[in-house]
Amino acid sequence: MAASVRLLLRLSHRNINVAAAGGSARPGCCWGPTGPSSCRCFSDATGDRSTHFGFETVPETEKAKRVYKVFENVAQKYDVMNDAMSLGIHRVWKDMLLRAMHPQPGVRLLDVAGGTGDIAFRFLEYVQSQQERQKRRAARSTQTPSWQDISTNYSTEDEDGPQESKAVVCDINKEMLKVGKQKADSMGISAAGLSWVVGDAEELPFDDDQFDIYTIAFGIRNVTHIDQALQEALRVLKPGGRFMCLEFSKVTNPVLARLYDTYSFQMIPVLGEVIAGDWKSYQYLVESIRKFPDQEEFKGMIEDAGFYCVHYHNLTGGVVALHSGFKL
Amino acid sequence: MFGNVLCRLVTETAGVHRYVSRAPVIQRLTAAALPAPLRSFSDVKDEVQPPFDASLLEFLVCPLSKKPLRYEAKTNELINEELGIAYPIVGGIPNMIPQEARLIQKDTSTTPTQG
Repeated sequence: MAASVRLLLRLSHRNINVAAAGGSARPGCCWGPTGPSSCRCFSDATGDRSTHFGFETVPETEKAKRVYKVFENVAQKYDVMNDAMSLGIHRVWKDMLLRAMHPQPGVRLLDVAGGTGDIAFRFLEYVQSQQERQKRRAARSTQTPSWQDISTNYSTEDEDGPQESKAVVCDINKEMLKVGKQKADSMGISAAGLSWVVGDAEELPFDDDQFDIYTIAFGIRNVTHIDQALQEALRVLKPGGRFMCLEFSKVTNPVLARLYDTYSFQMIPVLGEVIAGDWKSYQYLVESIRKFPDQEEFKGMIEDAGFYCVHYHNLTGGVVALHSGFKL
Repeated sequence: MFGNVLCRLVTETAGVHRYVSRAPVIQRLTAAALPAPLRSFSDVKDEVQPPFDASLLEFLVCPLSKKPLRYEAKTNELINEELGIAYPIVGGIPNMIPQEARLIQKDTSTTPTQG
């Protein structure tokens, strides 16, 4: 009871602070260290902590706003730009994530910072093809079934599969989800196994121990408090659940690193200007990649959050790293 | 999408499966063809929001208190009774950002957007 009153008051304090144009007055965190982990983000939002936004230094409270602006601007052209910037290789990276994930029918996926839904769509397709492969194997093993039996098997079990496996796409940005939903509708993907939720990776609106797989593809470097996002990931995963993260990382080969840097800083913002009409957002993109911790450091962060068996694979020579950990 | 289905038909190894799978595929094809024009009509016709998927409530909770929510069909919101806040649902997508939630009973004005 007291906790809820505290939260209510903190909410209204937050309103007042925001209305007072970002005054640095501490919100009522003299309530002392409280139990629920949800108050962590409030007590940190004092405004004197700063973080990086690309190569700029900004107060932490600013970063989320500016990241939101970036993705609001690029949402419509996001997929086109991905193809242009990575020369289509991002599709390979995402396919490799799915291959490593190897989801079986009936698992529940949470795709955070899922935006336009690339991972969720691939997940549903993968699970569907797995389902069909299993059915084919089952049909082959049964002895000389009648054609009636086979056709009824195929037609009845077909609708069950996609409904068992569920994919939830969570993103902080409404525009990105809107684009994703439109894509899903136009691709004709069954809405049964797919849900869209606007939510903050640092404060997920999901109950504990709910998901079998948590993925975050090219999103975690945009989160202000990565450790909080990792802890939330641990919370919502079922025991035995898998955390998988695709993110840009440090290129290991020096020659490739030089080429990659030149391409990043010379080509990508230009492409951004030409295709999406937005130089700054893509400048932020390439800068934020440089500010993100490297493979080993990120692995350490994941382990600190409480994941076990943390491994990573470098893709395309380290341009992208696939980190994976388990909740045990 | 049709191309995929036809490819699958062609590459089926077992002869029996090839004949059998065509029937449900045709059903699937016609079934898929039907909803699309219907969907586009409903999009153009009015601003009725697509229905909210209540199965989400199984695991959707308030991000602040992590307690379950109640779906209010009249205002199309998810209510957390304990804290007295309501999360809006826009276009069938629930918006679970705390700053976007509306305080009930306190005042009916929406809280300022994402800070």
